[in-house]
Amino acid sequence: MNVDLLSFARGPALKFALGIFCAGVVWRILAFCLLRIRRDFNRPRNSMLKYLWTGVFATASRSWPHPEFIKRTGAGEALGYSYHMGLFVVILLFGPHIAFLGSLFGITWPGLPSSVITAIAVVTATLFLGVLFRRVTTPVIRMLSNFDDYFSWFITMLVMLTGLAASAHLGARYETLLAIHILSVDVLLVWFPFGKLMHAFYIFPSRAINGAILARKGAAT
Amino acid sequence: MMDSTRDPTVGETLRKHGVTRRGFVKFCTATVTAMALPPWMGAAMAEQLRNSPRPSVIYLSFQECTGCFESFTCSFSPTIENLMFNVISLDYDDTLMAAAGDAAESALATAMKTNFGKYVLIVDGSIPTGASGACCTAAGRSAEDILREAAKGARVILAVGTCSSFGGIPFADPNPTNAWPVSAIVGDTPIINVSGCPPIPEVITGTLLQYVTTGEIPDLDEHRRPKAFFGNTIHDRCYRRPFYDAGKFAKTFDDEGARNGWCLYELGCKGPTTYNACATLKWNGGTSFPIESGHGCLGCSEPGFWDKGSFYEAQSTAKWGRAGETSGKQVLELVGATVALGGVLGVGSAGISRLHQTHLEKDRNEDVTKDEP
Amino acid sequence: MTDLAITAETHADAATRASQVAGAMRGFSREIGAMSAFRMESCIHCGMCAEACHYYIATEDPQYTPIWKVEPFKQAYKREASAFAPVIRLFGLKRAVTAEQLAQWQHLLFDSCNLCGRCSLICPMGIDVTTLIEQARHAMFDAGLAPQELYDKADHQQLTGHPEASLEPYRQKLLDIGIRFNVPIPLDQPDVEVMLCVPRTDIDHYPQAVAAIARVMRHLGVSHTFRSDGLIAENYGYYAGSKEWQREISLRLIDQAVACHAKILLVPECGHAYTALRWEAADLVGKPLPFKVMAATEYLALALKSGQLSLGKADIGATSFQDPCKLDRMGGVIHAPRELMKAMGVDLHEMENSGNFSFCCGGGGGVVDIEQAKPLRYRTMETKLREVDATDTKTFLTSCSDCRRTFDDAKEHFSWDKSPQSLLELVAANLVATRPVTTSTGA
Repeated sequence: MNVDLLSFARGPALKFALGIFCAGVVWRILAFCLLRIRRDFNRPRNSMLKYLWTGVFATASRSWPHPEFIKRTGAGEALGYSYHMGLFVVILLFGPHIAFLGSLFGITWPGLPSSVITAIAVVTATLFLGVLFRRVTTPVIRMLSNFDDYFSWFITMLVMLTGLAASAHLGARYETLLAIHILSVDVLLVWFPFGKLMHAFYIFPSRAINGAILARKGAAT
Repeated sequence: MMDSTRDPTVGETLRKHGVTRRGFVKFCTATVTAMALPPWMGAAMAEQLRNSPRPSVIYLSFQECTGCFESFTCSFSPTIENLMFNVISLDYDDTLMAAAGDAAESALATAMKTNFGKYVLIVDGSIPTGASGACCTAAGRSAEDILREAAKGARVILAVGTCSSFGGIPFADPNPTNAWPVSAIVGDTPIINVSGCPPIPEVITGTLLQYVTTGEIPDLDEHRRPKAFFGNTIHDRCYRRPFYDAGKFAKTFDDEGARNGWCLYELGCKGPTTYNACATLKWNGGTSFPIESGHGCLGCSEPGFWDKGSFYEAQSTAKWGRAGETSGKQVLELVGATVALGGVLGVGSAGISRLHQTHLEKDRNEDVTKDEP
Repeated sequence: MTDLAITAETHADAATRASQVAGAMRGFSREIGAMSAFRMESCIHCGMCAEACHYYIATEDPQYTPIWKVEPFKQAYKREASAFAPVIRLFGLKRAVTAEQLAQWQHLLFDSCNLCGRCSLICPMGIDVTTLIEQARHAMFDAGLAPQELYDKADHQQLTGHPEASLEPYRQKLLDIGIRFNVPIPLDQPDVEVMLCVPRTDIDHYPQAVAAIARVMRHLGVSHTFRSDGLIAENYGYYAGSKEWQREISLRLIDQAVACHAKILLVPECGHAYTALRWEAADLVGKPLPFKVMAATEYLALALKSGQLSLGKADIGATSFQDPCKLDRMGGVIHAPRELMKAMGVDLHEMENSGNFSFCCGGGGGVVDIEQAKPLRYRTMETKLREVDATDTKTFLTSCSDCRRTFDDAKEHFSWDKSPQSLLELVAANLVATRPVTTSTGA
């Protein structure tokens, strides 16, 4: 037999997963973008250029912690942003990942030493565990949480752990570990359009559009 | 060859060829070490072999390129491996034997009859079953028939080379001759796969030697390959591993990185998923191996290595096309098609939502403003 | 007989509950559009909005998390109008909103939200939570679940133009103020530059503020008028969550402004009145307004800048300033009051959370009118009162009559030692003559 788990994972399974991902993302976004849009008839406070630019600026400024809020939100924000940064570094700057993305997008870029990546991945996975702890122990967040929150956490964590296991050759034959890692990415891709992971697509447009709408009034952004 | 004439023992034969007892013990010790057996077995193996009658070995070649046999027999300078031919009694081999035609066939029949149940059967090449077996015949008999018959009297089959172990290159898509590995044809006789395209000479001889000495099948992995030689991946033992760990990859052949001996992962090296002894035993008596020569491992000892293809694409890349095809175009097609599908579904969903909204809002007496947020 | 009665009652109850849910679903559906959908899609359940909300900060009760206040709306959206809604309905992946839920949420949406906008400012996804709450209130109104006090006032106002019955007509009260404070009150003039509306709270409780704006306008020499048929600035339709009534109430003022050909509709000290007219009226009416809407502080700051207005030094000592949410953080009128105070040489001690980040007085969003909200409101106001006290000032200024009313109510409840003063009144008390005014002040 020529098809083994690894060939399946990075062949038909990946194709299927990517297909669901692309179709699902476009479906979900279009489905709400095409709902009713209200025209604003009130007179803007600023020129369109100014308020659009403020909106664009808000995509970055919303990450900036304000002194008035930071006492209460600092720890959570630090945790959240730092594991995101860790994820980006691991996903985008690890050699085999660059090769994978390169095979999809046709471009590559330089990466970091694999040992550095491993260290960052371990730290990120630890922080991510802290994220779950926080979700479960903070009353506000626990109240807000639903299946989506927990499953999205689970599948992301699975990708991280299987990736670490594969690169450490830990627990089974390398190609099995690699296959499981790629399969977990496939599952993540399939889940992506249906859960909160969509925030990856939403965050910058949301900050920009809501920021622009507020800026149009001269309101605080 | 009759038992009653008492064949010379291995030791006697070796002495005839000028190999000292010490030299032979050294050879056995080296072999034992390579197989990670306890060192004392070296002397024991030497002793056992010297006093044993030469075991009968029948070598059948089917749909093959003869590369495995070449590996087994050819070397740059006379080595002790050559002398292995004096340790075993090679009772049939298409390539080496002087006889041909009926004489050759009768030699095979005699060998099988005389040593029935005792001979070691070595097979290389895949077994084609297409065209009613006409793709590979000898004396009008198909390879399949010959193998089935020979397997009956064999105490073990060594499937030497990837073709006989897993089907190899003939088995690759579209497999026009409907080729199969030995394990797909033979069920009853124990099989040891010694895969590789070709296998390393010392791997073949080491496996044979261990079996002949101990009479036992060595520890095998899930593909029935001896763990002594196939227990680690090339990656696990590769001397370029520090470069992999440091993320230093050669991007093209003969670029700066390649010249500095950096890891060949991005040039498609299959070292991480290929189990073989190339990185340790190496080739040509320990001279070098593909990676050391600057070319990535092709994964030739693995099942389906040809169809898995992407010889020059890194292992972590997506792989949808046939061997040799790149994924880029296919990715674009997939993305295009699914985005379009998503678009249609999205428009449909929005339409359904709007209709449903209208449905929820009817029965409302007043209709104030048309433009809602 | 008793059985029948019980049956009749439960049937009526069931009918009521069913009609509430149907009403809420109609309301939710009307509010679901691309923008509100996008906002609801974007929530990642991070809980940061709670950290901005003074109701949560004061009580540490998670149910006051701002985005949680719109949970039924989100649920309804996902179930009825999201991308996978048909699948969600088919497999029951999200339950339908129930009457019990709506009853529970009335408290969250009305009693525990001032529509202050702080949550919209903190959200890392940029979600305008405040607008979602406004929209959810619309659905609650459609469900018949607006708080009674707000409903009654809104109903009265859409019918008569003012939120409560009054023995004396408001136009008369207005004229009386003019007499009492010796300031001309132009009323129902035909062709003017500026039309003024006035908070009913000011007419009834802070008449000196009414006199102040009249005095300032006269000082500026700009042609202005009040209109009898479009007098009251507040908009209880907005508070109650009724878009129809909000529109009716705004239309009154709009029609009058059109009738007197005003170029500017000036809104004196009232936060939500400004928002309702400046940022929501045109959309409800369906076309741009043919005049500008300006807040009094905004207008006066411009006059100051153009030299039309000169102010003398105010003699009030160290002072703090209460930013009315709907004017400052949400309305964009944040610099104007400070420019005016600076011109008067006010020694301003900003509160710890000031400007865009200031806490609501606690009375916004109609909360000050809701009886059952009082205990929670007082508890929440403690944060604000402590902040005011921490500035170590004896007075503080504001430019919203509802803020004044709320603080004065707290003063009584807590026996607090402070009471906010009106910025407008301070301006009126420190007018300085400038060059003779003949030209008009425009924006």
